[in-house]
Amino acid sequence: MYEERFDKRKFDELRPMEAETGIIPNAKGSARFKIGNTEAIAAVYGPEEVKPRHIEKVNKGIIVCKYDMLPFSVPDRAKPGMDRRDIEISQVITNALNRAVILEDMPRAMVNVRIYITQADAGTRCASLTAASMACADAGLPMRDLVAAVAAGKIGDSICLDLTKEEEDFHEGGATDVPIGILPSKDEIVLLQLDGKVTREELKKVIEVGKKGAMEIYELEKAALKRRFLNESKS
Amino acid sequence: MTLENYNYMRELAERKIRLDQRSEFEGRKITIKDNVINHSDGSAYVELGGTKVIAGVKVLNGTPFPDRPNEGALVVNFEASELASNYNDDRINYSIEVGRVTDRGIRESNLIDLTKLVIEEGKTVSFVYVDIVCLNNEGNLFDAGNIAALRALLNAKYKVEGKEEALKLPLDRSKLAISHTFAKINGVIFFDPTAEEEKAADARFTIGVSEKINSLQKGGDGFFTPEEIDFCVGKAIELREERFKTLMENINN
Repeated sequence: MYEERFDKRKFDELRPMEAETGIIPNAKGSARFKIGNTEAIAAVYGPEEVKPRHIEKVNKGIIVCKYDMLPFSVPDRAKPGMDRRDIEISQVITNALNRAVILEDMPRAMVNVRIYITQADAGTRCASLTAASMACADAGLPMRDLVAAVAAGKIGDSICLDLTKEEEDFHEGGATDVPIGILPSKDEIVLLQLDGKVTREELKKVIEVGKKGAMEIYELEKAALKRRFLNESKS
Repeated sequence: MTLENYNYMRELAERKIRLDQRSEFEGRKITIKDNVINHSDGSAYVELGGTKVIAGVKVLNGTPFPDRPNEGALVVNFEASELASNYNDDRINYSIEVGRVTDRGIRESNLIDLTKLVIEEGKTVSFVYVDIVCLNNEGNLFDAGNIAALRALLNAKYKVEGKEEALKLPLDRSKLAISHTFAKINGVIFFDPTAEEEKAADARFTIGVSEKINSLQKGGDGFFTPEEIDFCVGKAIELREERFKTLMENINN
């Protein structure tokens, strides 16, 4: 049984978060999102000419997204470059952003999204997606909504929000990890994965808890963007 | 796919009509052939409608991972080969995604008791390699790959040095996580999409069900509402019985 969380948080409490935009002046848009010990930075370049040419689409724009874990982000050492896991995560993040960004408004163009994980302590794909969507908004891309993503899950018999690495590796009773990404104002789920063991009823609760957590992140994202544009108008 | 075909498919979908005249939640026929590969320790050839895949299992000795000294290991690899379809874009990304989702279903359901694959503690363990190759892509590689992998694992018999008899893998048959894939086309959800339906679809959703739900994967550019997710999960639990029967057909103890 898992009755108290390792870091004494409540079961539906997020880790302390930080969000900031415009951290990479060279990029069209950029953002940093930190949740607990997980930190992701994202940069957006474009919309620009499509390269290589053959992936161009005449009726809409495309997003090319790269997720990479930096070598020093994990306890051992992550091999530089993208492995199979990075490619899969890049794919699911691209899928989510494809819904969030209104690509129909930018035919024959391409948007590059690059995401680095500087520190990893579980929930990196969610942090990445959150940072990437903030960077897209910062770049001024037309969007349906920001994406707010968080991992919910089940440890032992308890439904938890925002798992840490320690909790993910919890052995007795097993841990289930469910990354969820939503467009909060439209209640659309754009990213959903699961590995572990849950029943149908439990899954419903997990999604419910995840949605609640995502709303909190959503508010933080909006505040960070507002702050950025207020500062800009002053200077 | 031409724009005309695309629009036509979506129009039909709105009226819940499929080109192959199946109903919304009717799966295609599954045909299984066992042990088609001599050199593998277990293999299966699976046809899901027009989709053809081969899965081969090899059990080899290896050094355990430093953080898991008393456990064997499972390695799942999927390849949507170039001869299977005239892919134009992300064949490699897709292969990796299918492979990793299949891996997750088998791993998270604890189908294989990896602690029983230890030969010498901390030094030698068995590695179970599951390689799946798609020979013809007519859609829904997730389910076809998953069924082929499970059947190949069920068939597998391997030899260990120093033992006469061929061993079976330590499988718990109550934990077979069977994959069910849905596609959402123009707001309507269909089970077991064909290649054409996949091209016209907005989003895809794969659910691995054993006694519990072991894996989920949302794919494609579209979205699902929480209600649709729950609906799909319910359908997958319902549909599992039939798939399970097909999977276990002619398998003896």
